[in-house]
Amino acid sequence: MTTYDADGITLEKVRDYVWEIPQEGGMNAPARVLASEALLEEIEQDKTLQQLKNSAHLPGVRKHAICMPDGHQGYGFPVGGVAGIDAEDGCISPGAVGYDVNCGVRMMTTNLSYDDVQGREEELVNNLFENIPSGLGGGGVVETGMDTIEAILERGMDWALEAGWAVEDDLAHCEDEGFRPEADADKVSKKAKDRGKNQVGSLGSGNHFLEVQRVTDVYREDVADSFGLEPDQIVVLIHCGSRGLGHQVCTDYLREIEQAHQGMLNQLPDKELAAAPAGSQLAEDYYGAMCAAINYAWVNRQLIMHRTRQVFERVFDQSWQEMEMDLLYDVAHNIAKKEVHTVEGGEERELFVHRKGATRAFPAGREEVPPAYNDVGQPIIIPGSMGAGSYVLRGGENSLAETFGSTAHGAGRLMSRTQAKNEYWGEDVRDELREQNQIYVKANSGATVAEEAPGVYKDVDEVVRVSDALGIGDKVARTFPVCNIKG
Amino acid sequence: MSFDLREHTADVAVEATGPDLDAAFAAVADGLAAAMCEDVPDDGERFSLSVSAESREALLFDYLDELIYERDVRGVLPVDNEATVSRDGDEWTCEATARGVPLDAITAREIKAVTYSEMDLAETDEGWHAYVVFDV
Repeated sequence: MTTYDADGITLEKVRDYVWEIPQEGGMNAPARVLASEALLEEIEQDKTLQQLKNSAHLPGVRKHAICMPDGHQGYGFPVGGVAGIDAEDGCISPGAVGYDVNCGVRMMTTNLSYDDVQGREEELVNNLFENIPSGLGGGGVVETGMDTIEAILERGMDWALEAGWAVEDDLAHCEDEGFRPEADADKVSKKAKDRGKNQVGSLGSGNHFLEVQRVTDVYREDVADSFGLEPDQIVVLIHCGSRGLGHQVCTDYLREIEQAHQGMLNQLPDKELAAAPAGSQLAEDYYGAMCAAINYAWVNRQLIMHRTRQVFERVFDQSWQEMEMDLLYDVAHNIAKKEVHTVEGGEERELFVHRKGATRAFPAGREEVPPAYNDVGQPIIIPGSMGAGSYVLRGGENSLAETFGSTAHGAGRLMSRTQAKNEYWGEDVRDELREQNQIYVKANSGATVAEEAPGVYKDVDEVVRVSDALGIGDKVARTFPVCNIKG
Repeated sequence: MSFDLREHTADVAVEATGPDLDAAFAAVADGLAAAMCEDVPDDGERFSLSVSAESREALLFDYLDELIYERDVRGVLPVDNEATVSRDGDEWTCEATARGVPLDAITAREIKAVTYSEMDLAETDEGWHAYVVFDV
């Protein structure tokens, strides 16, 4: 048997790109890493593998805890981690969802070509930067009162539709139509709502961004056609989450669960994995609050997209409908959802599928995939770094068997933020991107540009290659940045 | 009291020390501010806050969470932190103040939340040592 020794943790090769850490000690299941050897060499550099082993300690984890090809160290649960945990005799863990509930990505297509935008990048990037709130304390597209926050939490994109920030077609092209019915605004603390009030429609900072991109490659023409993608076309990618509201929901429940379920916590190797037993009041309350934060994040991205349409209208002097600025899809990558999957012994079980830094990747035919894509599989949007391409994939046939219907969510970080700031200077990165790659970047902070420099990320091409080879997310198209704004 | 920002692949960690618990708490809070902004002006009004929790570690967590909450709600970066930690039976309390620098006057990056991951709060020969990972 081929093995890979990673500083005290031995991985056994199951087959190409599939590595297993056998169950031992307090683990309730084995753990798997889906990676090429090149990616595994990067993954073993930090605490990813230990965190993955720790996540397999969660009670009720089924089949195996999994690390996606872009996995890296997070807090408690690794980023790029997926765990299907039994919804009847398992648990739900806020730390395994992440602070930024429904951090995610959406892509909007247009009928503009790269030719239409060339020469106007500067005007476009400046307009986007001025009109789309970003950074710390930058406010939101709308300022809301408590009643509005409650409505957003309860109704998600349906609220945006009624308030004139969305059209019916946007809802039809969003995961879950932009609405989690289990959302319960009463389970979201006043503290969380206070933080969310002035941030509806804002990017935030860190690795969040809005990017105008051009399609450079199409790999599966039939699927690209269904997605409305063709070479040279301009698209817009938006990456952000549920802002302070979601962060507070996670924090609140982490603390409540820590106090109420100390017994379960004592079995776990990391306090950040604190989990509420399935069926407990706190499990139900957290699920309701998390679903409400999911709704908030969808509205957040919707408002940013709507504002982007207005900016394009001004810059290109056409209506957004004329430019066919339609939502391709919106995917969450920090989420726990009740889904039914086949587990050990062929049994069908309802699970809380925790995806932290991982994207749902359902293939054609799965009922949750919206009618628009049910024949081809759900679109998956994988953002790369500022200087690298992003990818559009579709849910692969093998995803249900391998990963509870999941794949990677991005390039995955390689270098710490502190090291990045020592190695890069924001202005140099920006100038180089413009001169060498014709990418126009505008950010609040030069430090953010340095921290997010292309060199701090793994090779997104390799991440996507592995996803495609495993058949969990199939390559459809590649895009390349034109303009990028960030906090 | 002092702090350093430590390497972490995706997030940021603050390592701090202080001769006593009060100083160590305030040093972590100053580290949190430094992780958000490198160049802080002298203005801003001081404000106070108070948190209680069931243990020393939980109190540090809740104190830092409260600072992040105040940042978003007041629209200020809490700097020059001062903290007083006390214990009454099973209840630990932190009475603190900070100078709130208006966010619109600075360029700052967002720290999303405090985490328990790898948290350390321990007494040493020189006083107290703390290590906290924040989600960026």
